[in-house]
Amino acid sequence: MIEVGSLLILGALVLGSALGVVVSANNVYCALFLIVNLFGLAITFLLLNAVFIAAAQVLIYAGAVVVLFLFVITLLSADADKISTDPHPWQRNVGLLLAGALGIVLAYLLAGAIFFSNEGRGSPNLGIANAGKFDGSVEGFGRAIFGQFLFPFELTAFILLVGLIGAVVLNRQQGEEGNERW
Amino acid sequence: MVIGNPAFYLGLSAMLFAIGAGGVLIRRNPLVMFMCIELMLNGVNLAFLTFGKLWGNNDGQVFAFLVMTVAAAEAVVGLAIIIALFRPRQRVDVDEVDELKG
Repeated sequence: MIEVGSLLILGALVLGSALGVVVSANNVYCALFLIVNLFGLAITFLLLNAVFIAAAQVLIYAGAVVVLFLFVITLLSADADKISTDPHPWQRNVGLLLAGALGIVLAYLLAGAIFFSNEGRGSPNLGIANAGKFDGSVEGFGRAIFGQFLFPFELTAFILLVGLIGAVVLNRQQGEEGNERW
Repeated sequence: MVIGNPAFYLGLSAMLFAIGAGGVLIRRNPLVMFMCIELMLNGVNLAFLTFGKLWGNNDGQVFAFLVMTVAAAEAVVGLAIIIALFRPRQRVDVDEVDELKG
């Protein structure tokens, strides 16, 4: 009973903060709701034995990406979008309709992935099905990422380098006589 | 045993992705749209981890890790583009950017 209650609270926290990101009028509140959402998801990841991913979620997202968002929000004057009127008011309803349809289709597909691929062996259970074989430890994750997945892991370093250079190149300033100032 | 039921995690993931997609479609502030894209990526990560645990190997966690690094790089480049686009403008609104409209 406590288990069901705490899981429901966790789900409500994650979904409620996600809705907060979407509906908040103030952009700073959106970023703060995103932090709540990321912490709730980190707890969910811990329940799935993904220890390293949960820690990286808090460090990378809540620690770095959201701070970057807050910097950009303050740089672009937080309440500058309050004066505009919507030139396409019908887009909001169509967007809500499309998002609802997407949610229903996704839920149907994921439910199908669980219940129809199992061919009558009953619904699988995360705790029992693989007990002992897989513990989600950091050691197992490290062996996977530095063994079987070494090449994709090295490629992420290249992607981060591209991101770094792209951020510098996109915001270089034009000086006088068209000379680029770095 | 609800805590081991994959339907909870996958349902949460589907709803999170749908909420993020709705946010991208509804909101007109590019920064909030970017935050909603992060929501969608996190929903996908949750599904990856759930299926990884169902299969009983580390592949799901490796995929989630790669998604996180790509999301970080994407946020950096995207925010740089947003700054370059909207710093000379008055309003932070995606409808402002219509120079290519015929």
